[in-house]
Amino acid sequence: MSSDFNIISETHDKILVLRTDGYINNVAGEKILDEFSKSFTEDMNKVIMDLEKSKVVNSIGISYLIDIIEKLNERNGKLVFTNLDPTIDKTFNIMGIFQFAQKAESVEAALK
Amino acid sequence: MEQNLLVEKLSLQAESFQEGFEALIKCNSLEEIAKNFGHLLRGNFILSSIHILHKLSIDAEWKYLSSQKDNDGIDQSLLSHNKQLSIKYLTDKKFSVIVVLPLSDSSYLGIFAGNKLDGSNWTDFDKITLQILLQVFSSAYNSFLNQKKEKQLIFELNEKILQLNNLIDADIELSRYDKQNVLFDLAIERVVSLTNASSAMIKIVSLSDASTEKQITFPSNSDLDFILNNQYKIEFGFEFNNKQYLFVLSEKETRKGVTAFSDLDKLLLQAIGRQVQASIENEYLLGQSLEKERMEKELNLAAAIQQRIIPKQLPQIDGYEIAGINIPSKEVGGDYYDCIDLGGGKFALIIADVAGKGISAALLVNTLNAALYSYLEFNLPLTDLADKLNKLIFKSSPSDKYITFFIAVLNSKTGELDAVNAGHNPIFLIRKNGDLEQIEAGGIGLGMLDFGIPYEGKKLNFENGEKLFLYTDGIPEAMNICEEEYSDEKMIEFLKTNSGKTPHDFIDLIVKDVRKHVGAAQQSDDITSLFIKRIK
Repeated sequence: MSSDFNIISETHDKILVLRTDGYINNVAGEKILDEFSKSFTEDMNKVIMDLEKSKVVNSIGISYLIDIIEKLNERNGKLVFTNLDPTIDKTFNIMGIFQFAQKAESVEAALK
Repeated sequence: MEQNLLVEKLSLQAESFQEGFEALIKCNSLEEIAKNFGHLLRGNFILSSIHILHKLSIDAEWKYLSSQKDNDGIDQSLLSHNKQLSIKYLTDKKFSVIVVLPLSDSSYLGIFAGNKLDGSNWTDFDKITLQILLQVFSSAYNSFLNQKKEKQLIFELNEKILQLNNLIDADIELSRYDKQNVLFDLAIERVVSLTNASSAMIKIVSLSDASTEKQITFPSNSDLDFILNNQYKIEFGFEFNNKQYLFVLSEKETRKGVTAFSDLDKLLLQAIGRQVQASIENEYLLGQSLEKERMEKELNLAAAIQQRIIPKQLPQIDGYEIAGINIPSKEVGGDYYDCIDLGGGKFALIIADVAGKGISAALLVNTLNAALYSYLEFNLPLTDLADKLNKLIFKSSPSDKYITFFIAVLNSKTGELDAVNAGHNPIFLIRKNGDLEQIEAGGIGLGMLDFGIPYEGKKLNFENGEKLFLYTDGIPEAMNICEEEYSDEKMIEFLKTNSGKTPHDFIDLIVKDVRKHVGAAQQSDDITSLFIKRIK
């Protein structure tokens, strides 16, 4: 199974920013979860997930994002999605993601 | 008495059992439940340590969930291998209790409880309390499992709603005309998302030579062979306009790995595929409609050009009666007639027919008309005029366009007729005795070739009572629904029978006769005629 998915993580104060690039499917979902587990430290309270370069996500990918949301909830952390493609925005809405996570126009807006 | 005391003590504990249960059911994972249960046990029994393990089935490996001290010294072999609840109370050991608790999903909880900090043994009350707490754990774990199932069910329901919504949205998007350039990219993204396909491909093949016109994959770097040869693939295809469109999805993803696509996935692929098909067909039909509109506009313009150069009124020729008509067909054919006053009692009688239809034919006639008016000013011999017109039309028209042309210059005072027929139908001069004299002398149609072959002219005398009939092939070649032509013979017969009429009446009658023959069939070519009668 080929994948052209990439993820970059960076830290701003106590905020972890994850930037995805490519189709968020099973393989990508695992990579996101791995990166989150590796990069999210105890002193962090917020994760920003920038999906500007990801235009397609399937339900398996969404299940991994839900896993991250649940892990964050355990630690009273927040997840904010940014730069959502309108189709993905609608998808997250229907899947109830925004009951447990937030969205913002951009990473800069989410960092404020 | 002792029993009553026990019951009384347990009753007092009821609230704390309830609180313990409520704390456990708020946990989001088995690890969290185990950790909190460990706290509960330690708090109730003031234990030195507590270690909680879990295995997925009777034969699986034990895994640590929670340890409040080091795991050193834990001998997992002490955990019972039975399927029933096992509680072992130990003395003189590192641990005071070892428990194996079977759970509702056939997994097992293992507990190593350290000694009580006060060094005391486990009382009956402690043992009953432990049993109750194990029951509390069981119930909390069932609740956790049910919550998981409920979440999974909600996820699956939402997924179905999402699929339906995405399908509707995809259908709307794919049907939009402004998305044509991204139609296939959009379709492939949508169908992959809808079906959880690992990868997908759309291939367009020309049916005439089997060459691949276009190939798109998602993700973009997907291996084509992997997709096409995958054991878990589904396909959908259709043909349109001499092309074959093939959609292939490969490998359905799940959290546990890849699997075959379901019947629902096949339906979803078909739905998207059919929408793409509809979009392509609609685009084609729109193109056809726009082309038709463009052609209609072009024809209207051509008709307007043609009508502009057809004379609205013919000049009066002293001693002669003249009438003319041009009835354009639905598709403008490029017929032209005219009677030009050259001065000094001389008139040029012209009839022409451009091969071909549409705006190009109309423009060519326009060119002819303009050139004619220019050249006639120079009073050239008709043969030279024809030669010049031939060269001009040859240069200005495409190779498939030419003009059949007849011109006769009438000296109205003497009746002298000087004529050249450049590839046109034979023109008829009806003599006083009723004989029909055909005027064919001339040469090839204007614009056909430019080999310098000279045109021939013919001189005739147009006597009093004689008539000259000019026409285009729209009359003899007019067809009825049985595809029978009006014919030269019928036209000649009509000419012989009706040439005594006034030019105006003759024209009127021949048009009626042609229309009667054509009947319900559509007029396929312009009907053009010029009729002149010498009356003095």
